[in-house]
Amino acid sequence: MSIDVIEKNRPRAYPPRPTECTAIFWEALEKGKFQTTKCNDCDSFTFPPKPICPHCWSSSVSWKELSGKGTLYSRTTIYAAPATFENETPIHAGIIDLEEGIRIATQLIEDEAIPIDSPVEIVAIRYTDGPLYGARKAE
Amino acid sequence: MKQNVAILGMAATPVGKYQSDPSADIHTLEHELLAKLVIEAMQDGGLPKEEVDSLVLAQCRPYTQQKYFATFMANYLRMPCTASVMEVLGNGMTGGIALEQAIRDIESGRARAALALGANFESRTPSAEHMNSSMRATGDVDFHTPFGLTPIAWYAMDANRYIHEYGSSRRELASVAVKDRYHASLNPIAQYQKTITLDDVMAQREIVEPLGLYEVPPRGDGAVCILLCSEDMAKASGKPYVLVKGRGFYHEGVHQISEIPNDMIAFNSLQRASKSAYENAGISAQDLDFAEIYAPCTIVEVLASEAMGLAPRGKGARAAVDGETTLGGRIPISTSGGLLSRGHPAYVTPLYNMYEAVEQLRGDAGKRQVKEARLGATSCELGNYNAAMVQILEAVR
Repeated sequence: MSIDVIEKNRPRAYPPRPTECTAIFWEALEKGKFQTTKCNDCDSFTFPPKPICPHCWSSSVSWKELSGKGTLYSRTTIYAAPATFENETPIHAGIIDLEEGIRIATQLIEDEAIPIDSPVEIVAIRYTDGPLYGARKAE
Repeated sequence: MKQNVAILGMAATPVGKYQSDPSADIHTLEHELLAKLVIEAMQDGGLPKEEVDSLVLAQCRPYTQQKYFATFMANYLRMPCTASVMEVLGNGMTGGIALEQAIRDIESGRARAALALGANFESRTPSAEHMNSSMRATGDVDFHTPFGLTPIAWYAMDANRYIHEYGSSRRELASVAVKDRYHASLNPIAQYQKTITLDDVMAQREIVEPLGLYEVPPRGDGAVCILLCSEDMAKASGKPYVLVKGRGFYHEGVHQISEIPNDMIAFNSLQRASKSAYENAGISAQDLDFAEIYAPCTIVEVLASEAMGLAPRGKGARAAVDGETTLGGRIPISTSGGLLSRGHPAYVTPLYNMYEAVEQLRGDAGKRQVKEARLGATSCELGNYNAAMVQILEAVR
């Protein structure tokens, strides 16, 4: 169970800061593995991954791989972007409900607007300085 | 003893562009503008400055050079205080938190009178630069910001979901902008007063799909001072005043997006906050004569009106199209012109909304007066209405 990896020949506009916890996520993502933390006590997923469970406050969490399959809850295209992203407009973004019951927001890879409530899949995107993820119409 | 709280005086500068170029020979500065408003608000309420025990300021934008602005103002106006001298911050809710803190100081008896005030100067900073900061305020800096999400991108996703779920359209949502501008055309302190048509709104360049330039908040500067006091003191003044009749607050424990899928466009926090405010005031939504809603985009006003029980779910946009929320309609919303046209100097926007509500309830709203306005509501929020604050206000004349 792994997700597709796309290469991008440029650095990320605004790179995330890995921590001891989230570095595990970013390093796996680079290899096409999309995972997050799940509580060993209450069985709840959390995203972004955390060293604690926000639901029951347990400190006992494990990494669980996600399928990367989900449904598009909503989307938009951003034409007026922050200066940091001026070379990346228009920016496509969406909210995705993953099949494991987690809602995330991320960039969309689309040529035309993906219909709301249609299936999407997460892909890893390898930039020259590290990875990000995004979603595209499910094949 | 728990005190009832009244609003007795106020002053505001028209929303506009005041912030000086850093290289200007002569500057317009926040504290000079605000000091005049403090004196004006105190004259409006007819109280001497010695009665004020509490100064609660909306924090200034990072572009304001003078730091520790609250204590600076206490000195600038020579105001010794026994309750609070502080600055508060909470995104768009900032001015609402200032009001709430001032209310609490009076309610608890710690202050006889209190000022909730602030100056928001930002117009000299270009939007693209400003968004470099604001993109870090709405979402997770490491898991949302890297994708380029801006504050209003979240509202745009509300809009597309609403259109999808309820068969609404950009055109329906855009009618809110036309209505807001009509209201602003009657408001001398509004930033944009020239009326516009639906075609004008639809013809603007897209900012964040499906929202165009006239459907997202303009940027501007502003300053407001609201004078609050115990109801006993307000009664003794012999002047008309506005009673804070009920309040509600709710933060859903979510920052921008719930990782557990929910009905994002239900504005759950606003449902909860308005319900508790109505209960606190002993009223229902139907009793309101008007609502001054914190709505940075057209869609937000629609969703907020539904969450506050002013329109049925999925019918808020239709209510706006049908004129129900226009002056003279069933429940006028944002009679000031709202954030879209009155203007949105964000950290003091809830103070401007309170200013409008008080003008309506004192019968001072001129051509945009809601007839026989007795009960009004204000709302403010942060994130994507992940937190909401509602105040119910009653005219006492």
